[in-house]
Amino acid sequence: MLRASIQSKGAEADLRGISKGAKAGDAGIAHGEKLARFAEAAVSGDPAELATARDALRDAAGSPALVDAAAVVGNFERMVRIADGTGIPLDGVVEALSGDFREELGLEGYASRRLLGTGAIARALAPLLRGAFRFGLGLAGRRAGSR
Amino acid sequence: MQAFRYESSPDPIRPDLAEAYRGAWEHIASPGTWLDGATRVAVADATRRARDCALCQRRREALSLVAVKGEHDGAGALAPPLLDAIHRITTNAARLGEPWLRGLFEQGLTAEEYVEALGVAVQTLSIDRFHHALGLPPEPLPEPRPGTPSRVRPEGLVEGEAWVPLQDARRFASELGLPVGRAPYVIRALSLVPDEVRAWQRLSAVQYLAPAQMLRFGASGARALDRSQIELMAGRVSALNECFY
Repeated sequence: MLRASIQSKGAEADLRGISKGAKAGDAGIAHGEKLARFAEAAVSGDPAELATARDALRDAAGSPALVDAAAVVGNFERMVRIADGTGIPLDGVVEALSGDFREELGLEGYASRRLLGTGAIARALAPLLRGAFRFGLGLAGRRAGSR
Repeated sequence: MQAFRYESSPDPIRPDLAEAYRGAWEHIASPGTWLDGATRVAVADATRRARDCALCQRRREALSLVAVKGEHDGAGALAPPLLDAIHRITTNAARLGEPWLRGLFEQGLTAEEYVEALGVAVQTLSIDRFHHALGLPPEPLPEPRPGTPSRVRPEGLVEGEAWVPLQDARRFASELGLPVGRAPYVIRALSLVPDEVRAWQRLSAVQYLAPAQMLRFGASGARALDRSQIELMAGRVSALNECFY
């Protein structure tokens, strides 16, 4: 979803913010480092780290952005447990579209890894599918920008 | 007194968030499909207590979960398999496995009860984590409402795609009015108890995005964060939880 949101603006996606977090800096996203640090502190930091990260994000991006960021933390603390608690696999389309970066992000090493196994034809067509998806995103982004 | 007032918050809280949280509390306190209101509130309470559970702490640090025996904090309020489910989901979700869940079913927990309790637990957790992130105290849990569960099992269930039965992808997409022909797995995950899917979707619409906005990758609704910022947060939280999905 991060890659798609960046590509819809016609830009190159840098996904290091997901795997490396604040250590990746802004990774091409406004306030990316402060957002990542806040996410890290909210999920696993101590109270002092969280207070520091919260103040830094509020100072840089404002209270409404801080509240939105806290809401996203809450949302995905829920969604990861729904996925992990029910043993759902990746949907076939997502599996095909994400094949090129799952290893790069270290996702293949997760204990929660569950794939449908999309088969040889789907794997062979995956680059084509990713290209078409990227073209579609760029087109949609240009249309939205021209309005 | 009305819940989720946020008068002492240093950061103004969007009214749609407060309203959705009040709705979630009402939902948690009410009789569900398989659990009564008292059990649902006890599940929410167990979710909160799990963070400080000594057994969960030892298990988080252990290389092998099997080696760590003991009793969860707060034993007694819920049946042991349900309590274990809630604590493990809350504190160590990335290491859950189908054999563990089958073991809970063999102890008498039903898949329907498990899915409903999972729904209650994750709603509680997501609201609590929002408060925690903003440095706000947790909201007192609601008083359970009287009444009996409806005990309605949906038709068209599919076995074997996940650890619990799921509703058919096309049928469930139609039932929820999704803008896609097939509901993705993450939406079908709790479809054995459809009210729990609707409940988390109401939260998701305010904490993240409404379903119609999710596939418009440039859209962020009326949020202060743009879509890339939202997705960076989403991806980072998922990675920290070691969630493959």
